[in-house]
Amino acid sequence: MQALYHRLKALFPLGELTEQRENLVFVTVDAAHLRSLLLQLRDIEGFTHLVLLTAVDWIETGEFQLTYLLGNRAKRQDIGVRVMLSREQATMATIHDLWPTAATYQRELREMFGIDFPQSPGVNEEFILEGWNDIPPYRRDFNTLDYAEATYNDRPGRESRDPATYMREKLYGEGH
Amino acid sequence: MSVRDLLSPFSAWKNVLRDPVTIADPLNRDAAPRYRGFHQNDIAKCIGCGTCETICQNGAIDMLPVDSVATKIGDSGLRPRIDYGRCCWCALCVDICMTGSLTMSNEYKWVDPNPDNFRFTPGIDRKSWDSAELGYQRPEQHRLTETKRIAMQELEADERIDNFAEIVAGYTVAEAKLEADRCVSCGICVATCPTHMAIPEYIAAVRDGDYERGLKILYETNPFSQVCGRVCTRKCETSCASRHEGDAIAIRWLKRHITDQVPYERYREIVGDPLPPTGKKVAIIGAGPAGLTAAFDLARLGHQVTVFEAKGAGGGMTRYGIPEYRLPYEALDRDINLILSMGVEIHYNCRIGVDRTMDSLQQDHDAVVLAIGLQQGRQTRIPQSNHERVYRAVDLLHKITANEPFELPHCAVVIGGGNVAMDIARSLARMQKQQYGVVNITVTALEEQQHFMADADEIKEALEEGVLIRDRCGPQGCEVDTGGKLIGLKTWRVVSIFDEERRFAPKYDEQDEVVHACDTVIEAIGQFSDNSLLGELLTETLEWDRGRLKIDAAGRTSEPWLWSAGDCVKGPDVVSAVADGHRVAASIHQKLQEEDR
Amino acid sequence: MAYQPDRSQYPQRRPDGTLDIDLTSGKYLKLWQGPQHPGITGNMSVELTVCGDEVVAGKTHVGYLHRGFEKLMERRTFIQCFPIVCRICVPEPDFNEYCYAAAVEELAGITSPERANWIRTLILEMGRINSYMMYLGGQAGSLGQGVIGQWTTYARDLMLDRFEELTGARIYHMFILPGGVRDGLPEGFKQRMEETLKEIESILKDVYNVMYCNAVFKKRTVGIGYIDPQLLDSYGITGPTARAAGVAKDVRRDQPYLVYDQLDFEPITGKDSDIYTRADVRRRDLLMSVDLIRQILAKMPDSGELMAKLPNVLHWQIPRGETYIRGECSRGEYGYYLVTDGSGYPRRVNVRGPSYTHAVALLERLIVNINIADVAALMVSLHTYPPEIER
Repeated sequence: MQALYHRLKALFPLGELTEQRENLVFVTVDAAHLRSLLLQLRDIEGFTHLVLLTAVDWIETGEFQLTYLLGNRAKRQDIGVRVMLSREQATMATIHDLWPTAATYQRELREMFGIDFPQSPGVNEEFILEGWNDIPPYRRDFNTLDYAEATYNDRPGRESRDPATYMREKLYGEGH
Repeated sequence: MSVRDLLSPFSAWKNVLRDPVTIADPLNRDAAPRYRGFHQNDIAKCIGCGTCETICQNGAIDMLPVDSVATKIGDSGLRPRIDYGRCCWCALCVDICMTGSLTMSNEYKWVDPNPDNFRFTPGIDRKSWDSAELGYQRPEQHRLTETKRIAMQELEADERIDNFAEIVAGYTVAEAKLEADRCVSCGICVATCPTHMAIPEYIAAVRDGDYERGLKILYETNPFSQVCGRVCTRKCETSCASRHEGDAIAIRWLKRHITDQVPYERYREIVGDPLPPTGKKVAIIGAGPAGLTAAFDLARLGHQVTVFEAKGAGGGMTRYGIPEYRLPYEALDRDINLILSMGVEIHYNCRIGVDRTMDSLQQDHDAVVLAIGLQQGRQTRIPQSNHERVYRAVDLLHKITANEPFELPHCAVVIGGGNVAMDIARSLARMQKQQYGVVNITVTALEEQQHFMADADEIKEALEEGVLIRDRCGPQGCEVDTGGKLIGLKTWRVVSIFDEERRFAPKYDEQDEVVHACDTVIEAIGQFSDNSLLGELLTETLEWDRGRLKIDAAGRTSEPWLWSAGDCVKGPDVVSAVADGHRVAASIHQKLQEEDR
Repeated sequence: MAYQPDRSQYPQRRPDGTLDIDLTSGKYLKLWQGPQHPGITGNMSVELTVCGDEVVAGKTHVGYLHRGFEKLMERRTFIQCFPIVCRICVPEPDFNEYCYAAAVEELAGITSPERANWIRTLILEMGRINSYMMYLGGQAGSLGQGVIGQWTTYARDLMLDRFEELTGARIYHMFILPGGVRDGLPEGFKQRMEETLKEIESILKDVYNVMYCNAVFKKRTVGIGYIDPQLLDSYGITGPTARAAGVAKDVRRDQPYLVYDQLDFEPITGKDSDIYTRADVRRRDLLMSVDLIRQILAKMPDSGELMAKLPNVLHWQIPRGETYIRGECSRGEYGYYLVTDGSGYPRRVNVRGPSYTHAVALLERLIVNINIADVAALMVSLHTYPPEIER
């Protein structure tokens, strides 16, 4: 897939190529060039199948990674296009006009990560959550354990002992 | 659309003539032999390591004390209680179980009106499926942890026999990471370690490659980490969870690995500076592991510590007893120098009772610690054993370390089956190889070889180095020729060592007599302490317990200013001596603080 | 003469593209199908806007089964994720186990042993049969043929028995874990499996006679729910739904995984792309699975490693990386996108279930203009499992 990378690299400012395996690569592109790169891949290079669109929260660097995974069935190849967005202004251009099904992904990303896709049909409608008023739950700073502890009650009567600590108490520790 | 499409559906009517396929009695249907049903736990096998709790992603397992199981070395006394309101029967707990005690029956029906009953301790709360034979048991080949210890690179017998080079190479970083990875961090071993080192934590540091953190953890509990990393009796490994269905983690080698990885120049900074001076003075007699550990702790707490050592160098038995091929002097020196760098003053070649008196120590110091070890070798007192060519092993080992001349035997017989016997046999074997080109050493002992007190590795390596072992031999006398020359050791075959009350009372087959030809006999049957330094008056005043100085749990003698620690009161073991050093240091520190109030 | 809708009744589009539906006009009615409805597969619902008995707009609502698996996995170690992934798809859980295991193995640089790959393939094909059995019952049931569901439930139960003796569980097998599989085949398994396959073939013959060669069934499915092959890529359509449109999309052939390159098969296709064709493709695909299982049992090695050497799973850390693993499940392309960051926990897991595209964007498009009574049949013909939409 080196050849493909070089062809694309001549047209778009691409980041390093990550060759995950013989038929799966990842490239990074800036948000401004995403649409034209996707079009090039879809219409010229034969990557017609939008496998998935999802996000990864790299909270440490303050970025969201959007991954557009495209498949070329004839060549049995897949390419993941990564776009890094600032977590602060997480907005991205919609691609529902290229793949209508992308609207569903974008609606979910809006709900779960708080990434906006203006003009994407129904992007602000609730998809999976109902009456959610916390931060978008798939963000890394949403703590599921804290949420569960605050929202639900544990069945009473649970306790557990750490073997090493317990042995210290019983066999050699303070006051023994 | 065809006529067939109109008629074909009516073929469903043929089922009217068929027997139903429904299971007539679904309540008594046995599940498959591997079915993952309700849990069973073999309570006698379980050691309460809690690895099942660690892996359970549902948080369904709690480790709790149970009445019928006592906490003891190698067994936390806790047992897993499973909450079936959370369990998903994935059996990861069974897969990871370190002893194989946890299994699953193929029972899957349990009706109870009380939901709390579905939280139960398998094996403790009796259930109808406790003895079910079918159900999920971890398949033989299916292991989620590595069972085999990473092999240590060692010198081969022919590479090591003519020199005193260290045999064990120490793990490489890659090897150490793999070995550290095997540890499940249960912490069962910590109670077993006499000084309760934070074993899971420093092994985690090896995994993370954070050796400075590891070193800091080591020296919190053991200032003799370089020494113990090589020659520790590693009691911890006997209670390692991994030894139940595989090899114990090489805890000792991992400890050594940490000390190997951190440059020595960094040690002092990592271990940290002592607290500000308190103005209190402590004298310590004996610069062995116990004395120097106490010195290390007390100096770090800001007390002024002076150590008096009769010999020319510190380390006690670790220097004068343990051969160099097991513990290089440089490693020992590094530990000692670190201890001394805490501001400990040391006087070598200073014999208490000769160069200074106990009285003067008592007058000049707020506390005195007696940590003089076991320097004197026990004698067999068999006929002719007062011959000049009958030695005590500790005396010979001392001569070898101190480079004092002695006549190297051409053919020696060692009496004793412990590590000291192996040490002297293997040391002499090396010197014989160097000087005479051939090894001619025989080790005789009362026990059968598999019951020798010596480590299995020591015996194996001694044999590899050409040492002969004659087990079940009771020494009866030394043979001396008419010219007064020692020519052999006579032994009888041992029939039994202990009587019915387990008292030491060896019985021999007198017909089965062997004379082991030799020019030297070496007794390695134990050591005792020489307390003559105390002086008559103090000896009278102190309380004794069957020949040993009587001390309490904190190491206090009957005199309020005198503590005692280490081999001289607790018997021979490096890491126990270190633990003892900590104990008396803590006790002294507490006393000194109380005085201030 | 086919029914012709009265187009004049249809709502106009507003300038922003949404439909101008005035519910007070009395022309339109909102109708909820689901979340509890016999014509719905699992817990989801379709909000229908009808004009007469004609659907003019449909909207998929999910969220009844959201358990946040992708997020939960971010706080579980790699081995701890293994027992929960199967719950993302109840009728065919094994693809979760396989895709997750394969993704972890790829990023951790582990190769599962050959024999384990054969057993994994066997399990995936057994799961496919079960999934199709469930579908057949549902598809027939959506058109009022309750008896088919009874027969296929029996057939599925037989396969569950085989699952039980092989994996130790009937529904959530938890057998394919990173590194390999738990165990080999039990004694006598091949023979019992052959008996089960024979029974399944016999049941399928009955199903064919009663369900497929059935004037009513044909009347209600032929020509209904047509999917234009042009839509396949734009709507991410895969699996039997794509193959029924004449495109031989099958991951088993396109990107052979496990041991599919050692098995003899050709993707099943149809050409009419309607409900009937999709049902027929699935029936033939089921028969192909029966054949594949026979091939696997004949060719698989009886001895050999079942698990690759794993690092201690309690401290398992995987270097930073990302990958996507796909497989051909009974509904289409199933995939796991796994991102690791060097820690002992996944940074992100994204599950791509075929229902995600089929049951939302595609269904909302196909549902327009069909009769209310056909909504259930159309939905089932897309073979959707709601838990993989919301995960």
